[in-house]
Amino acid sequence: MTAAPGSDPRGSGGVAAGVRGRSTNDTPGGRRIAAAFEWARSQGRIALIPYVVAGYPDDEGSLAAACAAIDAGADLLEVGLPYSDPLADGATLQRASHAALVAGATFDRSLALVARIAAARPGTPLVPMGYANQLIGGGDGRDRAIALASAGAAGVIVADLTPDEGEPFEAVAAAAGLAVVYLVAPTTSPARRAAIAARSGGFLYCVSLVGVTGARATLPSSVRGLVADVRAASPVPVAVGFGVSRPAHVRALARAGADGVIVASALVDALGPEGRDVARMGRLVAALRAAASGRPATTR
Amino acid sequence: MTVATRSSRQSRAGVVAEIAARRRVDVRAELAAIDRAELRRRVRSAPRPRPVAERLAAAGLQLIAEIKRASPSAGAIAVAGDDIVARARAYQRGGAAAISVLCEPHWFGGSPADLTAVRAAVSIPVLAKEFVVESRQLDLLRAAGADLVLLLAVLHPGPRLARLVDRARALGLEPLVEAHDERELDVALATGARLIGINNRDLRTLVVDPERAARLRERVPEDRLVVAESGVRDPAIVRGWRALGFDAALVGEALVRAADPEAAARTYVEAGRPPADPANLDRIPFVKICGVTDAAGIEAAVRAGADAVGLNLVPGTPRALELREAVALAARLRAVAPPGARPAIVAITVDLPADELNRIGAALDADAIQLNGAEPPSVIAALDRPAWKVLHLPRAAGGGADAAATDGGTATDGGTAPDGARAADGAVSTVVSAARAAISAGATRILLDTAGGPHPGGTGTRADTGLVAAVAREVPVVLAGGLDPGSVGPALRAAPIVGVDVASGVEAVRRPGTRPVKDPLRVALFVKRARAARIDRPNLLARPSPVHAGLVEADARGRWGMERDFGGRYVPETLIGALEQLEAAYDAIRHDPRFWAELRELLERFAGRPTALYRADRLVEAARAEAARLRAGRNGGAGTIPATRLYLKREDLAHTGAHKMNNALGQALLTRRLGKSRVIAETGAGQHGVATATACALLGLPCVVFMGEEDIRRQAPNVLRMRALGAEVRSVTSGTATLKDAVNEAMRDWVTNVETTHYVLGSAMGPHPYPTIVRDLQRRIGDEAARQLRDVEGRLPDLALACVGGGSNAIGLLARFIGEASVRLAVAEAAGDGVATGRHAAAIAGGTPGILHGSRSLMLQDRDGQVVEAHSASAGLDYPGVGPQLAALAEAGRLEVATATDREAIAAMRAVTRTEGILPALETAHAVAALPKLLAGIEGSGRPLPDGGVVLLGFSGRGDKDMAALERFADVEAWEGAR
Repeated sequence: MTAAPGSDPRGSGGVAAGVRGRSTNDTPGGRRIAAAFEWARSQGRIALIPYVVAGYPDDEGSLAAACAAIDAGADLLEVGLPYSDPLADGATLQRASHAALVAGATFDRSLALVARIAAARPGTPLVPMGYANQLIGGGDGRDRAIALASAGAAGVIVADLTPDEGEPFEAVAAAAGLAVVYLVAPTTSPARRAAIAARSGGFLYCVSLVGVTGARATLPSSVRGLVADVRAASPVPVAVGFGVSRPAHVRALARAGADGVIVASALVDALGPEGRDVARMGRLVAALRAAASGRPATTR
Repeated sequence: MTVATRSSRQSRAGVVAEIAARRRVDVRAELAAIDRAELRRRVRSAPRPRPVAERLAAAGLQLIAEIKRASPSAGAIAVAGDDIVARARAYQRGGAAAISVLCEPHWFGGSPADLTAVRAAVSIPVLAKEFVVESRQLDLLRAAGADLVLLLAVLHPGPRLARLVDRARALGLEPLVEAHDERELDVALATGARLIGINNRDLRTLVVDPERAARLRERVPEDRLVVAESGVRDPAIVRGWRALGFDAALVGEALVRAADPEAAARTYVEAGRPPADPANLDRIPFVKICGVTDAAGIEAAVRAGADAVGLNLVPGTPRALELREAVALAARLRAVAPPGARPAIVAITVDLPADELNRIGAALDADAIQLNGAEPPSVIAALDRPAWKVLHLPRAAGGGADAAATDGGTATDGGTAPDGARAADGAVSTVVSAARAAISAGATRILLDTAGGPHPGGTGTRADTGLVAAVAREVPVVLAGGLDPGSVGPALRAAPIVGVDVASGVEAVRRPGTRPVKDPLRVALFVKRARAARIDRPNLLARPSPVHAGLVEADARGRWGMERDFGGRYVPETLIGALEQLEAAYDAIRHDPRFWAELRELLERFAGRPTALYRADRLVEAARAEAARLRAGRNGGAGTIPATRLYLKREDLAHTGAHKMNNALGQALLTRRLGKSRVIAETGAGQHGVATATACALLGLPCVVFMGEEDIRRQAPNVLRMRALGAEVRSVTSGTATLKDAVNEAMRDWVTNVETTHYVLGSAMGPHPYPTIVRDLQRRIGDEAARQLRDVEGRLPDLALACVGGGSNAIGLLARFIGEASVRLAVAEAAGDGVATGRHAAAIAGGTPGILHGSRSLMLQDRDGQVVEAHSASAGLDYPGVGPQLAALAEAGRLEVATATDREAIAAMRAVTRTEGILPALETAHAVAALPKLLAGIEGSGRPLPDGGVVLLGFSGRGDKDMAALERFADVEAWEGAR
C-alpha cells in the first residue's frame, strides 16, 4: 500500500457510494436540468448545451453571447468561471479565461452575470463550470454552492473534481439545491463509469476524447462505442463534450445515443478574436441546434 | 569422452527422466563392481568434509561457481584442453564460496574423477552436481571427496527424498535439495534439508524462466539457506537475487565461458555483497544473542557479528551461569572478538539490589546490566553502568510460538484478555509509560519480552505483533521472545523495533540433563536474517515515530495531516485511470527490494551517491557573525550566538548537480515498470529537467520538458544541457510563464497522451500518489545524512534545514527526522522582495489552504481562489504552492518556517562561495540565508540552539546555472563576516 490502510470502503470502480448513497440528482437544480433534457427528447432531438465564458470579453459581451446562445436554441447553458490555471482546457478557453480575468472578472461578478442571465432567460437551466480551488479551495465550498444556487444556477461542473474527492461538496451542493455534474472519460473503466453516473446530478458529462478542451475537426472513431456504453450505464442523461464543434459531430453523437452535446471552444472561436461577434456565434448555435433535431444543416 | 546431444524424442517426463534412467543403469553397474566393505573403506579414507552451511550464512549472497564440460541445453562448452583444476583455483581466488563440479558423464561430460581433482586443488567445499538415483551413489560421491551433494526433488517421491537427505547427512555430505516448482518445493522443504535450491530451469523442458526463483523464494522459510540456480546472464541478476534474500547463487555457463574465470567470479562475488551505503546502514537493527552458555556459543556470536551477547546470571533458570563462568566467557569474548567490533557484554539479572548489580557489572566489566525483573527506576538510576530494562507485553493470541522451544516449561496464562482491544490499549500505554520512565532514569535500551512463563529470564514466546508495533511506534524497543532465524525478518518488517534479542531460537536440540547450547549455524543465520531484513527496503518504518501518523504517511486516499486535510487527488477524470495505474504499480514496488537495489546501484555508480557530508567551519563562523549582527539590529545584541557545527549534505555533488537526480532516476525506472514509452516533465530552474533528460538518455526514453518562457530566459545553461541530452524543451507562454504554468502544460500533455506517457513530476506535490513517490525517492538524502552524521558526531542534528519550493529537497532531508523529537525541522521559503510586499513565493509563511496541481495544500491565492503569481529570483522556488506533507508538518507545528529574500539569498550565495569555495544554487542559498536568522532566533521558533549544537543543512544544488543572477544583483555583497 502506498498509504496506511483503513479509510473508507470503496464501491465499484473505486468510487464511494456518495452522500447517504444518494446523488445530487434529486435536488431542485437536478430536476430542472432533467426537465430540460426531457423537453428536448419530447421534441425529438438531443439537448444542446452551449458554453460562454463569464466576463469574456466583458460582462455585457458575455451576457449578450449567453442570451444569443439561448435564443438560438440552447436547452441548457454552461457558464465558464474564469480561472488562472485551467489545466483541463486547451488554448481557446485558456485565452478567453485569461482575457476575462484581465478584464476584471471575479467570482462575484460572474455570479451577478449568472443572475442576470437567469433573469433574462428564466426558462433555461444554467450550469456554471469552474475549478476546485475556486469552488472548494481550503474549505468545503458551502458558501460558493449557496451563492451559485441563489444566483439561479441549477447545477455546477467542477473540471478537476471526481466523486473520489467530491462527497463533501456534494453534501453542501445538495443542501443548496444544486446538482453536481460529474465527468467520465474514455480512460474511465466501465465499473467506474457506472459508479460515477450513479453519483452525477442532473446529467453526466461524457468527455469524448483523451485530451483537453478545444474544437477538433473530427471526433475519435471510438466515441460511438463510448457513448453507447456510457448511456447504457447511466441513470441520468448523458451529454457529450470536448472537441464537439460541428453540426456533423452533433448528428453523429445523436445517432450514437447521446442525450445532449456540449459545445464550448468552437463557440468562443466563433465570437472572433475580440470575442464580440455574437451574431456569428448565434448562427453556429442555430446550426448545431438544427443538427440536434436531426434536420439537415442550415446553409448560410 | 562422448557427449550425447539433446534428445530429439523427449518423453513426457522430459530430459531429466532420460538422464536419470541412464544414470540408474550406470550407477548400478558401478556399484555392482565394488563390494560394500570396499565402498565403506573408501568413504572412511576420503578427506573430511568441509563445512559449508555456516559459510553460506555469511552476509550477502555467496557464489557457487560451476565447472562443466558440456550441457544438454548448451552442448559442448569447455574448449579442448581446458584445465578444470586451474579454473577451479581461479574461481577460489575470485572469491567463490564453493565449487560445483558436474559428475554426470553422458550429457555433461563430467565424472567423479573431475570432482576429486578439483577438490584436491582448492580449500573450499565442493558440490557434487550429480543426478542421484541410488542411496549408495552418495557413498561414491563422498568417497570421491564431495562436501555437498545435489538432490533433485523432481526425481524422487517425498519419503525417498527424505531418506536420501538423511543418508547424505549421515555421511557428512550436506544435501542441496533442488526444486523448480511449488510442488517440488513443498517436497524439498518437508525433508528438513538445510540447503534448498531453486532452479529457474525446468529440467524436463530445459526452458529457463528467470522470474521462477523470485516467485518461489517467498515460499521458503527464512531458516533455510536458499540457493538460486540457472538463468544468470549478468551480475545484475545475482544482485537481484541478493536483494530477494537468496544466500547463494550457482553460476554455471556465464562463468564457464569466461576467458578470465577469476575476474568473472569476482564480478559475481561483488554483485552478491550486501550493500554498505549509509542509508542502508542506518536501518540495520541491533542484534543480541542471549543466554550463551559456553565458549563455542561465544565464538559463534562473535563470528556472526552480533552486537551484544547476554550472559545469564539468574539462578534457577536453564541458561544460568555461575558468576565465575560468566567472567570466563566474557574473557573469552574479549579474546576472540576483532578489535573495534566486539559485541557488548551484557549481564542478565532479575530483581537484585543496585549494589549487587554494580558488583556483578564490575566482575564482568560488563558493557550493560540487563534488568529482567520489576526493578524500579531508582535501581536504574543507581547503576554505575548502562542499564537495559526488560518490559513485558501479553503474549500473542493463540499461544504464540512453540512452547516446547522455551525452557521446557509451560507458559502461564499471560494471553490477551478476551475483551481484547481495551486491554491491549492498556497494555501498550502501560509499557510505553514504563519505558519512558526507565529511559528518564537512565536506561539506554528497552527490551520488550512476553509476559508469563516459568522463568523471569524470558519466555521464548512471541508477543502480539500489533501490540509490539504500537509500543515500537512510541519508544525504541528491542524485541525479545520467540524469535528464531525464520521469524526474525518478518518481525523486523512488521514493527518499527530497533533491534532483536534471541536465546532459545538459536539453540541446538537440547540433550536431557544438559544446559542449552547455541547452534552456530542458527546463530549465523539469525544475525544474517536480522541484518538483511530492512536492506533495500527504504520505506519500512525502522524506528519509533511518536508523532501523529498523518505527519509520517498518507492514508489510502493520499491524505496527510492530523485532520487528514492535505493532499488527495483533484484532477480531471481523464487522469484518474493513470493515477490509479501509477498507484498500483508503485504499491507493487514500494517494498520490493529488487527495485530499490537496482535504483541504489544506479545512484551509486551513475549518480555518485552517497553524496558527501561536509563540515563547513568557515561558513558557520560567518553565519554566527551575521546572526550576531542581525540580533544587534533587532534588540541591542543581547547574548552571544552559541558555537555551532554546520554540516552540508552535498547534493550539489550528485550527477547533474542537484538532488533532482534521485527522483528522476527512480521515476525513469518506474516508467519502464509501467510499460510506458514516453516521459514528460516540468522544470523551473531546469535542474529537474536536466535530471529527467539525463535519466531518459540513460534508459533510452524520449523526453519532453515543459519550461516557462521566463525560466528559459533565466536558466539558459540548463536549457542547452537538456537539448544536448536529447530532450525536447517546450516553451510555456501561458499564465506567468514560470514553473506553475509548466506544470499546467505538462498536465495538459499528460491528459492528452496518458496512454503512452509517464509524467515525471519533479517535486513532492501533485495528486496522490506523487507526494509519496517523490518523498520516498528523495528520503535517501536524510537517511544518508543521519548515518553520516552519527559516524562523525555520534548523534543526530539539533536542527535540520532545507530550502523549499515544491518541497522535494526539503522533505527528502527532513523525512528521516520527523519522528526524532530531539531534531528541530526547518525550511527556508523564498521571500522574493519580502513577504510583506506580497511579491514572494512563501506558500507556508504567506499562503492559505487551497487546491493546486491536484492536491490540497498551502498556496498563494487571492480571495477568489485565483492562483497568485509567485515572485522569486530563484526559478526553482518560484512556485505558489508546497507539497502536502510539508503543509501538514507546518500546520501541526512540527516544522519551523524561515524566509529569505532575493537579496538575502544572493548575499548568502556569495558568503558560501567565499568562505568554502562552493558555489551554491540560488535555491540552496535561501537555506544558507535563513541560517543566521535561525541562529539569532529571529525566525522559526525563536528558540536558541544549544552551545555546541549541530546543524544539518540540505545543500540541494550547485550554482553554475545562476551566474546571471549574481551579476543581476551585483550590488549585493556577501555577509560582513565573509568578505
